[in-house]
Amino acid sequence: MLFKLKAKMVNRPMEKLFFVIFTILYLFAINIKAAEQDFQFHGFIAQGVIDVDGSDFVNDDGSFSTELTELGINASYQLSSNLRLAGQVVYLNGGNRYAEGVRVDYALLDWSIYESLNWQANIYLGRVKNNHWLYSSSRDIPFARPSIILPQSVYFDGFRDIAVGTDGAAIKISHNNDSFGDFDFSFSYGTSNISEEQTKNILSEYALGIAEQDYDIQTSMYWQPAFSSWRFGLSLLDAGFTYDSAIDGSGDMFSDADFTFQFYTLNALYEGERWEFSGEIYQQRFTIDGFYFPDFQRDTVGQGFYLQSRYKITQELTLLARYEDFYLDKNDKDGKNLEQITGGRVPYYFAFHKDTTIGLNYDFTSNFSMRAEYHWVNGAGRLTPVVVPNTEINDSEDWQMWAIQLMYWF
Amino acid sequence: MGSTVYAVEVIMHPSVNEPTLTTSQLRRIYTMRQIQWADGLRITVYVLPRQHALHLRFSKEHLQMFPYQLDRIWNKLTYSGLGVAPITVNTPEALLDAVRKTPGAIGYVENVKDEETVNVVQIKS
Repeated sequence: MLFKLKAKMVNRPMEKLFFVIFTILYLFAINIKAAEQDFQFHGFIAQGVIDVDGSDFVNDDGSFSTELTELGINASYQLSSNLRLAGQVVYLNGGNRYAEGVRVDYALLDWSIYESLNWQANIYLGRVKNNHWLYSSSRDIPFARPSIILPQSVYFDGFRDIAVGTDGAAIKISHNNDSFGDFDFSFSYGTSNISEEQTKNILSEYALGIAEQDYDIQTSMYWQPAFSSWRFGLSLLDAGFTYDSAIDGSGDMFSDADFTFQFYTLNALYEGERWEFSGEIYQQRFTIDGFYFPDFQRDTVGQGFYLQSRYKITQELTLLARYEDFYLDKNDKDGKNLEQITGGRVPYYFAFHKDTTIGLNYDFTSNFSMRAEYHWVNGAGRLTPVVVPNTEINDSEDWQMWAIQLMYWF
Repeated sequence: MGSTVYAVEVIMHPSVNEPTLTTSQLRRIYTMRQIQWADGLRITVYVLPRQHALHLRFSKEHLQMFPYQLDRIWNKLTYSGLGVAPITVNTPEALLDAVRKTPGAIGYVENVKDEETVNVVQIKS
């Protein structure tokens, strides 16, 4: 069944909450009496082809693939002057990039706690979507993000379902000032469920235990000076995970473990009439306590950036160029140490990920577009599984991919 | 004389008691940073499709923004559950009709005729 719900990705209380939210939204969808300004319904459908040469990014045999399907529907209903319900369901098929199937990207109650001409403050409860990074709110929306495949060092598809949203609460405070511009502050706290398939994607295909996220705290601040073409932002993330090894005798080769992940970004965006520039620079810290064996410890700091430019030749045609450069360990940029400590089992090129991308976007109408792009990638640092990599398929330092996607939305 | 270019006028439902708006205010309303009028009435924002010539003129002349910048803001609201975006209607006639019928509504037209029952707003920079 194509649209089977990945039940493991939704825990029990959240399941009930989603049921209530989507039932209410559905009732309003079929009840035409709901006024247009109170009920909104949107969606998108995108299908493409993708061909990867030299890695398991999409599939294991490197063949031409149509596993580039994205469908989504969302609805929003204004319950009262300060309460609103919103939810979005997405079906994805991206091969090895993420688990195939349906998922709830967000399902939330939006409570407008303060409202004036210059200030807005909202609290969001339920499964809230991550809006902290430059493209985190658009990463799962084919036509809204800048390219088919985003910079994997930040928008890693292997972490997609953990990073897109969180089950918990968020607050957003917006301020507008005629002299100083627009300010947006966001804070979110919660956890994401990690499915069995994701555990294998992130850790290892031999990991038989249970991975859980214990907490995820994120905050961000954006500033756009008054009437400026520039916008600046920063974000902070702190998350903790545990791995419970499967019981003795089950054959799980890994031990109980604690993982922590911290991620800090700075970003800038310029929007001109024809030129658009954007970039993010980031540092991450990843610690492992256990896993390979009970007393194992590792603490690595990774760094990276990407710079992106878009140029609008006409109102319909936009060109894209981007360069991304990322090291998993700032003290081991060439990966020699990685190769040495693993006794040669993990080659040096798993220590970095560099991607040079060119692409184009053509808008046939206001809501129907086509996109095409080519990526030259150097390094295997952003392929799944992450913790115990697949060095058999990913046996080359350089790999390439191209993709074409058609997108319609309403 | 078939190619006379009329000014883009900002129009509101007669229930809205704001004879003038500044460019900053209009921008705040169209970027969904102000969602109610000073008297508490909810604002309903109407727009034409993003490639419509009149939408392009309105964005540039009145908001000093490009349509793709507005799309980015509206897509973020619509597809992340953060808020609601303006309602898109397909023709200038449908937009005028929607503003006329919806209390608290704001929109734009080219060449307002006298008999039309909407308020035309003066925009001050």
